Amino acid sequence: MAALLAALAILAGGYLLAYLVFDRLRRSFGYVGGAEYVLLGLFLGPAGSGLLDRDAVRDLAPVAAVALGWIGVFLGTRLRLREWFAIPPGQLAVGWAEAGTTCGVAAGALWLMLHHGLGLDGRAALLPSLALAAVAVAGAPHAIDALAGRQAGRHPQWPLVRVVSSVDAFLAIVVYGITMAALHIGVVQGDTRPPTATEWVVINVAVGLGSGLLFHLFLGPAATGLEHEVEAEGHGDARLFIALAGAIVIAGGTAFWLGLSPLFTTFLVGVVLGNSAQVHEQIVKHLLRVAQPVYLVLLIFAGAAWRPPGWEALWLVFAFVGVRLIARLIGGRVGGTASDEPEFHAPWLGRALLTQGGLGVAIALDYAQTPGAPSGSLVLSASLLSILLFDWIGARETAVVLGGGAPTSESPVPTGASGAG
Amino acid sequence: MIRRAVVLLLVLGGSLLLEPLRVFRGDGVSPAPLLVFGVLLLAADTMGELFHDFRLPKVVGYLAAGALLGPSGLEVAVPVLTADLALIKDLAIGLIGLMAGAELRLGEVRARWRAITGILLGQLVIGVVALTGAGLLAAAHLPFTVGLSGLALFAVVLLFACILTVNSPMVTIAMLKETGAEGPVARTVLGVVLVADVLVVLLFTLAFALVQGALGQGEAEGIGVAFTLLREVGASIFAGGMVALIVSLWLRFVKIELVLFAVIVVFVTAAMAGALHFELLLSLLVAGFLVENVAPVRAEPLVHTLQTVAEPVFVIFFALAGAELHLHEVVALWPVVLGFAVIRGVAIWFGASRGARLAGAEPAVVRYAWTGLISQAGVAFGLAAVVAAQLGERGQALQAVIVAIIAVNQTVGPILFKRALVGTGEATR
Repeated sequence: MAALLAALAILAGGYLLAYLVFDRLRRSFGYVGGAEYVLLGLFLGPAGSGLLDRDAVRDLAPVAAVALGWIGVFLGTRLRLREWFAIPPGQLAVGWAEAGTTCGVAAGALWLMLHHGLGLDGRAALLPSLALAAVAVAGAPHAIDALAGRQAGRHPQWPLVRVVSSVDAFLAIVVYGITMAALHIGVVQGDTRPPTATEWVVINVAVGLGSGLLFHLFLGPAATGLEHEVEAEGHGDARLFIALAGAIVIAGGTAFWLGLSPLFTTFLVGVVLGNSAQVHEQIVKHLLRVAQPVYLVLLIFAGAAWRPPGWEALWLVFAFVGVRLIARLIGGRVGGTASDEPEFHAPWLGRALLTQGGLGVAIALDYAQTPGAPSGSLVLSASLLSILLFDWIGARETAVVLGGGAPTSESPVPTGASGAG
Repeated sequence: MIRRAVVLLLVLGGSLLLEPLRVFRGDGVSPAPLLVFGVLLLAADTMGELFHDFRLPKVVGYLAAGALLGPSGLEVAVPVLTADLALIKDLAIGLIGLMAGAELRLGEVRARWRAITGILLGQLVIGVVALTGAGLLAAAHLPFTVGLSGLALFAVVLLFACILTVNSPMVTIAMLKETGAEGPVARTVLGVVLVADVLVVLLFTLAFALVQGALGQGEAEGIGVAFTLLREVGASIFAGGMVALIVSLWLRFVKIELVLFAVIVVFVTAAMAGALHFELLLSLLVAGFLVENVAPVRAEPLVHTLQTVAEPVFVIFFALAGAELHLHEVVALWPVVLGFAVIRGVAIWFGASRGARLAGAEPAVVRYAWTGLISQAGVAFGLAAVVAAQLGERGQALQAVIVAIIAVNQTVGPILFKRALVGTGEATR
């Protein structure tokens, strides 16, 4: 208990320290990312200074599951179907082509490497390769959003890049969640017949959507917009926050219990709440209020939970960065030339989407936290290296491609608005 | 309300339905406390609102939800799971401590010191005398006085009386937040419970040393325990000063991320409290008080931040406290429990109102301040736990009776206090 408290105190203190130190860097150099938090976690964790030992990291796993759940709901509430239907079909076509190609290329290349390079059998290699492919597709919509107020934000194809970046995030989380359910690896307790792959997927989707529906009902008038008077008095906000926290903890905890992905399950909860609740904006406001600390503490935890993958797999960690770069460029080329409409022609798209962002790390952490997940340390290591490298160059590259130049100290990059991106 | 209850039942039913599919985790991590926490949170919020609709304090609703889901009810929030949530409870205690300390303004204490002192002395003296007398008279019916006589009997009963005179800063601050009360009754009660928190611990320390000596556990041992407790009080005040210094520096030079900063302060203090043996609540009460009244910074941003998180924190704390209530012990010992709860209530009423009158307090304070002193919660639980740990079977019997009486006081106290705040017109919502 005391050790856990100390661990939390160290984690949170580290977060604040990094926030203070890197805020200047962020303002001076336009750095948009969370690599510093990963480094901090590495320093604090068992692989670094050992201030957080293995037991402390293990004790923090449920906290990390809640954090993953928070990010999942946050991302889900951003998937507003009404807004998606308003997107020009050409933009969506580009987005799906880019995301699908990137995912396919990355998954194929990584499967070949794991199967032939590491000697994993075909089925065993499937899970880590698809998880890593999801990481490869995941981008950082917040890095794109950060350019909104600059010259790059006035580039005619900036909206296209935003849409593609959102499609990437959506595909990453869905591919990952479905993979974890279909190739479920946990051992069911007792003498229950283990569900089939299809059954696990159905169970996962049912738990996610069912939880979303239940919490929509639980919110009741708050969800249907009839409780404005209560909110005007200031009571509604606290109750909405409590209900949201309860929903996230229960849905994320259930997924954790069943060996499914808390990230994907709560993402589905967020999709239901985001599309059904009249008070969508308040829900997003509450999620946003703690999203940034949650996200950054998650990055620290990811760093602390890191374990070296073993010498024989080390090359794959570096290979992943190369695979992601190539898959991104190929995906960008395919997607950027998929539409006949000139305003959606953007063969440079891959370069604009290089930033890794926190979603990739959240996916990798979710994977590494799943008991029995093959090559968990490899997946986490590759994602951490990816965020360390791509977050340094990604935002600048996006700005250069879109003609905005690097951000300056006069125009600090807003990092809080969509930190979970 | 029915809709929310149905949803909660569906959540619980769904969890039971999925139970056979629970996967084996070889890493020693259990997700069950997480689920229990989520269910407790939603159930407490629902019950709080239900009680509010019936013009009862939300706090009692939160407690009722905890009791309903706890070992005395549906056995969802059982000790083995709620023990894992101690972290969250510590966070709630710490944040409430900071909040309560920052609510106590030196100017108001100065203006009301006569009333505060009068009520404090009145309730302590009359309370201890009445409860000790009642304990001696009812000694034959008390499970923790079996086989005792003379000084030993007196010492144990005195210890019992001291613990029963403890108030609850938690409930007081929760009630003030819930009702928005700011008038003389509210401010005086807050002053009394916060000062009493320190005084009663000192009183308990002396009584405990007497018990140790009288029970033949060695005078040296008794003095040792008394010294330890006194050192804890001193260390808590010192730690509070250190925390206040850090908070002041943060408010002066950094000023950002106040929620997270407050959470960090609580976790760090809790970790230090565990390692260095001082009391979390007392240290953060002192810290909040010093930041508000002594430090050369504006404490409003911190106070405002703490107020925005107050309601979720209360829900968590009181739901967990409800899950720890031993209702079956209330049932088993009901004549003793109800008898002492009534005697305590009458003693507090008499002592506090007489003390307030002698101190020349406002009529509303004379008439109603005692209602804010009935509740008991965390501090009393803590002292009872110390007794149980140190006095073996006798201590555990004493703890069982005290915890059962706390259950009654914790339920009745907020109801009385809310009625008083509404009656005086101090409640604004």
